[in-house]
Amino acid sequence: MSNPATADAEESPAGFAVPLFDATANRYQLAVLVVAILGLVTIPVWAPSLTYVFAFANIWVIFVVSWDIISGHTNYISFGHSFISGIAAYTTALLTFNIDPEMAMYITLPLSVIMAVVAALVFALPALRLSGPYFSLLTFVSVLVATKAVYIFSQYTNGEMGISTVSVLTFDNTTMFYYTLIPAAVVTGLLLYISRSDVGMVLKAIGQNEVAVEAAGLDTTRFKIWGFVYSAIPMGFGGALLAHFFGNVEPIAFLIVDRSIEMIAIAAVGGMGTILGPAGAAYILIYLRDDLFRTFLGPNARWVAVWSVILILLVYSPQGILKRFWTFLGDLGGDSA
Amino acid sequence: MSSDNNTRTSRDDSGSNRRSFLKAAGVGVASTAAFGLSGCLGGDGGGGGGPIKIGHLAPVQHDMGAGSMNSARLLVDHLNEDGGILDREVQLVEGDTQFSPSQANQLVQEMVNEEDVKMISGTFASETMLGIEERVGNLNVPFIDTGSASPQITQNFVGEDYETYKNVFRCNPVNADFQADLLADYAEYLSDTHGWNSFAVVVEDAEWTKPMSERTTAGVQDKGLELALDRRISPDTTDFTPILDEIEESGADAQLKAISHIPGTSMLATWGENEYPFAQEGINVASMSPQYWADTNGGCLYETTAESGAGGTAPVTDKTVPFAEDYQAEFSERPTLPMYMGFGTYDAGYIFKEAVEAVGSADYENDLDDIVAELEATDYTGTAGQIQFYGPDHDYPHDVKHGDDLAPFPVTQWQEEAENDMIEGDGAKVCVWPEAFSTADHQMPPWMA
Amino acid sequence: MVDPVTILVTGGMIGSVYVLIAIGFSLIYGVRGVINLSHGAFIMLGAFTYLVVSQYVPGLAAFAVAILAVGAFSLLLYLGLVRYIESNVVITFLATVVVALIVQELLVLRFSLAPRSLQPIISGGIPVAGTRIRYYQLIAFALSWVALGLLYLFVRRTRLGRNILATSMTEKGAKLTGTNVFYVNAATWFVGGAFAGFAGVFIGTLQSTSPLMWVEALGLAFIIVTIGGVGSIKGSIIAAYLIGYLETLTVNLIGAEWRGMFALLLLVAIIIVKPEGLFGREFIE
Repeated sequence: MSNPATADAEESPAGFAVPLFDATANRYQLAVLVVAILGLVTIPVWAPSLTYVFAFANIWVIFVVSWDIISGHTNYISFGHSFISGIAAYTTALLTFNIDPEMAMYITLPLSVIMAVVAALVFALPALRLSGPYFSLLTFVSVLVATKAVYIFSQYTNGEMGISTVSVLTFDNTTMFYYTLIPAAVVTGLLLYISRSDVGMVLKAIGQNEVAVEAAGLDTTRFKIWGFVYSAIPMGFGGALLAHFFGNVEPIAFLIVDRSIEMIAIAAVGGMGTILGPAGAAYILIYLRDDLFRTFLGPNARWVAVWSVILILLVYSPQGILKRFWTFLGDLGGDSA
Repeated sequence: MSSDNNTRTSRDDSGSNRRSFLKAAGVGVASTAAFGLSGCLGGDGGGGGGPIKIGHLAPVQHDMGAGSMNSARLLVDHLNEDGGILDREVQLVEGDTQFSPSQANQLVQEMVNEEDVKMISGTFASETMLGIEERVGNLNVPFIDTGSASPQITQNFVGEDYETYKNVFRCNPVNADFQADLLADYAEYLSDTHGWNSFAVVVEDAEWTKPMSERTTAGVQDKGLELALDRRISPDTTDFTPILDEIEESGADAQLKAISHIPGTSMLATWGENEYPFAQEGINVASMSPQYWADTNGGCLYETTAESGAGGTAPVTDKTVPFAEDYQAEFSERPTLPMYMGFGTYDAGYIFKEAVEAVGSADYENDLDDIVAELEATDYTGTAGQIQFYGPDHDYPHDVKHGDDLAPFPVTQWQEEAENDMIEGDGAKVCVWPEAFSTADHQMPPWMA
Repeated sequence: MVDPVTILVTGGMIGSVYVLIAIGFSLIYGVRGVINLSHGAFIMLGAFTYLVVSQYVPGLAAFAVAILAVGAFSLLLYLGLVRYIESNVVITFLATVVVALIVQELLVLRFSLAPRSLQPIISGGIPVAGTRIRYYQLIAFALSWVALGLLYLFVRRTRLGRNILATSMTEKGAKLTGTNVFYVNAATWFVGGAFAGFAGVFIGTLQSTSPLMWVEALGLAFIIVTIGGVGSIKGSIIAAYLIGYLETLTVNLIGAEWRGMFALLLLVAIIIVKPEGLFGREFIE
């Protein structure tokens, strides 16, 4: 799939030539996976104080795997994914704030997802014609424009105050954890399936060498657009879910470019293009940021620790630390993975 | 000394740590956080003899929040010196909201579910308060707002759904609707003092300033003064020359401003260096910090700001100045004075203590109605004023009553020097209004003469 | 209020500061193709260095210290981090923005979030054409052009400068002619950082100094350099003034809250229609 002769000076961060998962994972990989999943599902039992943080992390898993299916695979690095989830969250918020605070979720949720997909396509279509840094720049700008728009139209959006009329799903941590775990699992499963399917193969191929894929007769634009759609739907769902998690929507938690950067950093640390890597990294990094580092360092200094950890991992393990770990387990078992 | 995370020793002689600082990750000891054994430290359900925990929410990275958190720590010290609440030791659970309502929601969850706090006080920004109010109402924990001014907090929640939100009170500051009316009163004082008859109401475009644009403007005109200009400026304005030019052109004698998000440093520097021919009056949250003179290199000279507690410079009540002095003795890093929110936070603790001691229980799960009734009956001499609350049927139920003998809205001014100057280094802050307890006369910028 | 002379003067003042913001970014981007997202943090460090040092030494000396200190920091960042990762665009993107975030958080810990103004070397202002201008703004305007002049001389007249110019056009070609590319890169990072420090002191004085100021500065640098054209100093200058005037017109004619929006929209248009910018060339490897 990758042509060494045309390998450019920039090493692809998703730099691997074979699909991540064979049909069978070896016994070590399987064991680790099973233990992790079991541990995750039973968190309210053995670590009740972590329930809230992991419920929050569940939603972020949705964000980062949605980012991964497009940007992690095709290497079109989107800095604007918080734009997509933010549009969904604000749709929910605007509907309850400006029209009817009692509006039912079965109305607001689909509308929010639709708006997210529309927003993604509006940006994807012109942006996909651009290459590399210009694509990223355009997506970065989309977040800035959206954030500015929130302030300019504060009459409808309540500006930086945010909108608090969104209903909270539940005030009970354990219930919230499962309410968020199920969508996270479903989304991760679906995107993993897509990643391993033919569509996923093509997307990864585009990430390796788009010209070769074109030359092979495939319409890369069509695939990229589909990739965006596969990304935008769960992204929008996640945005609406987050709105109902907090009960309010404001630029800081939902929209600003810092959130996009976090998504990319988490995915890169986990291993771009692997779906499971970013998912695992989301749990680990959010646990570090919102629990462990916060306890030891306080809510301010912890940021230095979190970003430093991310920086070190980015520099020393650009393919992703979890992916590296997975490969290590694969080698251990003698299987190539 | 105000940096966080260390267990602070108390000031009593036994030498034991009476208060542990629990960063709002939920558990006091780091190891139990890692292993999720938080149940052990939560204390019992509220009936027995364990410590009483109170939570405080504030943005600690910001002077206002830091001052308030420090005040909460001082409060807990003083409460314990006086025997605690219900003869039980008081412990503080600190929550840094970082200006994020989402973060604040998380903190409320932890405080109630894991720390089992009996009361929460805070927050600074109205959007934070509004973002958590639904959760607070549903969790039933007594909540005393000590910093957010939006009238919606009482009107739209306690007023519309008393049963759900009866556990919410505001003791500080006077709400923004009243602040807007009082600013017009202050304009009248300026008119009487300097003969200024023309005012520009220029506020930042935010939720809490809407009353100023509506009511201050009307109030000024009702008093026979001229409203020269009425503007709302974007919170992320960086170049203030255009608006200052506009005010100059309008002929106003003074700008009545209301800014919180806008730090004012650039606005004041531009105003002062160019010697714009009008005065800087109104509300500037950043200016409440004792470090503001240093931050602006003296650019705030002659600026006034309204602030609860008058920055500790004036005897609003006989507790105001002693509290400010105690604070100053205890905390040496910025902010070196409590600022408006700190006064409220300090008062909230004693208000809560009086209420639950009258009931004999802090167990809000079972005794909420009794606790609420006692809180509603509060008549307490605090550091910010005489605290009473409006009743359930008032327009602003559970809001702090304002008035000459109740909670006032004092105005301070930055001057070059003053007699009992509490500001470290250059610059001094005095209280110029109301005259009942003012400490100095209002000064006009010399270039306006 | 819509006095054209006012707009002419104000836009010029703003543009002259924007030029300083963009130049450093443009140098680094143009010479090596590295998008240094720490650039905003460099500007911020310039302001904070001046804040601290000016308490001990007179203003001009503090100014010089700020410029040199940020130049050194930039150089260290290159030597210690960027040169190992610059071949990987995505990682460089991410790493430099993470560095900026770390700097931000460290500054918050030390200085708190409270914004401050820096003490200008000369205080006071002067009424001009319906508005008022601070003396310091005039100084910034003058120094901005002086700096550009010095840069011009450097790039045209000195050996090192000409090497930088050559390398920015084609690195392979530069290597072929025996240029020490490593030395050129290091020098570029130093000079780029020095300009950022320079800009930081002015922005910190005319606007405000706070640990969050790097975001807007970075955004501006990015917008200006992209519109002006990668690798083109002339493009950056013209784009800086263009944006300055665009903002001034927006503020005066429409409203201050729309201030940054039009610059962003212009950027979007340029990216879609002419990605190499007004005066840029295609990036030659």
